[in-house]
Amino acid sequence: MSQEHIDRAINREYAAGFVSAIDSDTLAPGLDEEVIQFISQKKGEPDWLLEWRLEAYRGFRQMEEPKWAHVHYPPIDLNAVSYYSSPRSMKDGPKSLDEVDPQLLETYAKLGIPLHEQEMLAGVAVDAVFDSVSVATTFRGKLAEAGVIFCPISEAVHSHPELVRKYLGSVVPRKDNYYAALNSAVFSDGSFVYIPRGVRCPMELSTYFRINEARTGQFERTLIIADEGSHVSYLEGCTAPMRDENQLHAAVVELVALDGAQIKYSTVQNWYPGDAQGRGGIYNFVTKRGVAHRDAKISWTQVETGSAVTWKYPSCILRGDNSVGEFYSVALTNNFQQADTGTKMIHLGKNTRSTIISKGISAGDSSNAYRGLVRMSPKATGARNYTQCDSLLIGHRCAAHTFPYIESRNPSAVVEHEATTSKVSDDQLYLCQQRGLDAEKAVSMIVNGFCKEVFKELPMEFAVEAGKLLEVSLEGSVG
Amino acid sequence: MLKIENLHAGVDGTDILKGLNLEVKSGEVHAIMGPNGSGKSTLGHVLAGRPGYNVTAGSATLLGQNLLEMETENRARLGLFLAFQYPVEIPGVSNMEFLKAAVDAQREHRGEPPIDAVTFMKKARETCKIVDLDPAFLKRGVNEGFSGGEKKRNELMQMILLEPRLAILDETDSGLDIDALQVVARGVNAMRSENRAFVMVTHYQRLLDYIEPDHVHVLADGRIVRSGDKSLALELEARGYAWLEEEVA
Amino acid sequence: MSDFMQQALDSAAASSPPWLQDWQRAGRQRWNASPLPGRKTEHWKYSSLQSLQQSFARAEPGDVELAAAGIDLPDFDGPRLVFINGYYSPLQSACELPEGVSIVRFADADEEQSRRIRAHLGLATGRDEPLFTALNDAALAEGVFLEFAPGARLSQPVHVVWVSANQAQAFSINQRLLVLCGESSSASVIEHFAGGIGGQRSFTNGVTELLLQAGATLCHYRLQLEQEAALHIGRVQARLATNATLNSFHLALGSELKRVDLVVDFCGEGGHCEVNGVYLPRGREHIDYHTCIEHRVPNCTSSETFRGIVGDDATAVFNGRIHIHRDAQKTRAELNNRNLLTSTRAEVNTKPELEIYADDVQCAHGATVAQLDEQALHYLRSRGVSRTEGEVMLSFGFINEVIESVRSAALRDYLQPMLASRFARDPALVGQAS
Repeated sequence: MSQEHIDRAINREYAAGFVSAIDSDTLAPGLDEEVIQFISQKKGEPDWLLEWRLEAYRGFRQMEEPKWAHVHYPPIDLNAVSYYSSPRSMKDGPKSLDEVDPQLLETYAKLGIPLHEQEMLAGVAVDAVFDSVSVATTFRGKLAEAGVIFCPISEAVHSHPELVRKYLGSVVPRKDNYYAALNSAVFSDGSFVYIPRGVRCPMELSTYFRINEARTGQFERTLIIADEGSHVSYLEGCTAPMRDENQLHAAVVELVALDGAQIKYSTVQNWYPGDAQGRGGIYNFVTKRGVAHRDAKISWTQVETGSAVTWKYPSCILRGDNSVGEFYSVALTNNFQQADTGTKMIHLGKNTRSTIISKGISAGDSSNAYRGLVRMSPKATGARNYTQCDSLLIGHRCAAHTFPYIESRNPSAVVEHEATTSKVSDDQLYLCQQRGLDAEKAVSMIVNGFCKEVFKELPMEFAVEAGKLLEVSLEGSVG
Repeated sequence: MLKIENLHAGVDGTDILKGLNLEVKSGEVHAIMGPNGSGKSTLGHVLAGRPGYNVTAGSATLLGQNLLEMETENRARLGLFLAFQYPVEIPGVSNMEFLKAAVDAQREHRGEPPIDAVTFMKKARETCKIVDLDPAFLKRGVNEGFSGGEKKRNELMQMILLEPRLAILDETDSGLDIDALQVVARGVNAMRSENRAFVMVTHYQRLLDYIEPDHVHVLADGRIVRSGDKSLALELEARGYAWLEEEVA
Repeated sequence: MSDFMQQALDSAAASSPPWLQDWQRAGRQRWNASPLPGRKTEHWKYSSLQSLQQSFARAEPGDVELAAAGIDLPDFDGPRLVFINGYYSPLQSACELPEGVSIVRFADADEEQSRRIRAHLGLATGRDEPLFTALNDAALAEGVFLEFAPGARLSQPVHVVWVSANQAQAFSINQRLLVLCGESSSASVIEHFAGGIGGQRSFTNGVTELLLQAGATLCHYRLQLEQEAALHIGRVQARLATNATLNSFHLALGSELKRVDLVVDFCGEGGHCEVNGVYLPRGREHIDYHTCIEHRVPNCTSSETFRGIVGDDATAVFNGRIHIHRDAQKTRAELNNRNLLTSTRAEVNTKPELEIYADDVQCAHGATVAQLDEQALHYLRSRGVSRTEGEVMLSFGFINEVIESVRSAALRDYLQPMLASRFARDPALVGQAS
């Protein structure tokens, strides 16, 4: 296939790149203790939380930006970032969807995320976070009947302080790493979920994150607690407008799966990736981690197509005996995007099991790295891990890397790692074209096939979206 | 020689054998037939002591000794041989080394000294001829890169070298072409003797055209539901298994 | 830089040929300018250099007779060079060279030879040489230049033995082997490190440079058989021109610290390399292999297999990198690392890495850490072989697959019985964990 075809197929427009003209309260750029006090005050937080933030900030000031990832970007000036932005009409917080600014609702409708409950796909409750603030959470009544708490974390701080205080920072400590410490100091909002003991959450929970304002960072924080024997499936989607400058997104997600609980966490990350020349785009530096207690299961599924730079390792600490961790990932990079993503599976309990399936697709001038750690601790008797990392290269200027760390200290534990690299072969394309498919369709079909093992882990609505997203992201990559 | 009474056994808590009774006398050849999933292969593995197969009730004795309490290797040394349906590949361990270790283990058990390498080499080469296997196979890893037919012939070679009292052939005929089948039959028939018994587990009657059984049993749902002479096998060939299963149900 | 080598370096400088002194100075400058890597340096993440934190004197010639015990290859009458504590031992060496081979010790090189050595030395290691190679340069007094003439085809390997023999205080040895394979030559070299039982610590820093010119074929075997107190940091750096083929084999039995870096640079198209290795640490031993295959040009192939059995309180580290540069199209590269842990206190850290900047390539790697195959063990037992004997057979078989790749019959016949008896008597290398 000709380079021209490939180029055309990759270079389609970023569909979520519009800016909404919304009047907002945005804090002047800069970071110091006063900013943190401002954020905390704005949210009417209790003293302990302010102190918690300040302690994180003091830790952060002692830390250095991590340099080990296989990504390159100019130094980020954290003092040029605004740490708080809120749509002005939200000042007192909406009590129901009717009170939400119609323009905001329109923004979400453009993104294909209608917030009106009647328009919802059956069985999905949505929390929408716009810049730093949660704007609407749907289906709260129905969830409350089941005892499920699903609300902005800023609200949970007031309504369920005992849960927030107990679990916040319990999985990702405040000073875990540079970006996690930054997030702990300045986090604005995010979702909070609690599933009571033995409850199977009656619908999929979903959060859509949107960065709208220029020169703002987004630092959301999500905390999900699945009490003993409960089940929950949680979806997360992200978009941002097209802007020439880079914007910082440093989120923290903590999952707690108590004995016998199951958490399924799915992400479709489509932050603005920058333009075809590599200008603009989101810096996505995210810490996601879950702790699985006895017989619990945590499953991460991610489809990463956006962001200029991604640095993200959703991980599982398999603390309890027989606990299970899963990581299914599709990461696609195009143009000048860079991704360094993967997972850590820390096996502490007996008979713990983990599965890692990672599919990396690189096109254009992009760079795509899988980085993973599988650790079998001395007590992880009978533990098992299986890892498969496949990379697909499209075009001769891109790069694909695999950095799997395997550390085993238990002789009865079994670790298996396999990785392959291949390209979309001329023969495959020829076959498709000979059967009448155009080159773009052929590539997108082949790529979809390559990712099938991961897509089948996604909830239905997301799987369709993910497939489409890949097709769009790949446009212009065929050549 | 072999006596099985009310044997209950299974894998991972699932019962597969549900009260199986069978007696095999020295010098006899028994065929065990049955539909897929009836427990045919399980019987061989339980007798050989494969890890993961648990006996929940009943007994099995070979030459008066309680098989079920013995280690796998001691069952083998007592004279039990299982020709595997899917022999495992062991790269890096040469066939020759493996065969000699097995033969020496049997000899030691009988209080004999290890066989000297030259004599054994000669014997192994001769056996290769009997089973129609290139002697070059002796130098390769155990079953490594062997075709299905070659693996089966390698099993047969081990049986000839180890001279068991009771040989269980687990679907040894599956996947064999007619020439290979005849090689296997020739090997087995040559070994038939007053002191030895065979249990052939098979799905098809084809093998029985070449190795004539004294008794034929039908295994269904973990039990022997019918026994007879070789005419039973012909009847099964003609009518399939379904009628029997219905009858039993 | 810590000064634990200063004493040895001073005495090396005093005794080396003048034409090497510039080389030494440059090496010493780089060595002095760099700190010793710690655990935060990615490539030393799992290996501590703590045991180097003492003073090492320069080695003295050891007891020749005693030191050379056990280094004979059976039925081997090819050329052999023996160095004891870095000193050439003519008594133990057999230097009847077949046609097409020349061997010069750096110390003996005449003007023409030294010119030739200087023309090739450091070509493979390059300018950004790693720290311990700089140290090797700094201490460069004794080295061997082994040259295979264009078109030479040798039936026997050249056996180069480096022995560390006991002495009263901790000592260090710096070794250098420079191999130049002329166009279309075909040869084998066995580098054999031995000794180190009992006595004081010794620290060997051995650098081997392999230069393969167009169409050359070289089998290079590096046996690290020093025991116990013999620390070893080594580097094999190979540079392959067009259509050259390298067979690289490594075996390491343990000592407190063994670290070997292998780098294969493909500099001409059509090259091929096959790398095989085995490591067997036990006790409190530590073995670390770092390999890197640099596919700089198109149409080269590489295939790599390392296996290890780690027992007792031992640690093994394996880092296997495949680096495919931009435009190195049509590369085929594969790497496989498998490990058996046989003790609850043993540890394996493995990292197979792919770094790929070209699309039309086929790459794969795999790594496993596991126990012996229960099914295979059952098969053996079902034939009457005892569990213990079965474990010995399977453990030995696990590494024997790699040993079988050794093409030199003399070397295979040396290694197989030695390793087989080691497995038969050493419970740390076989069996299920205690």
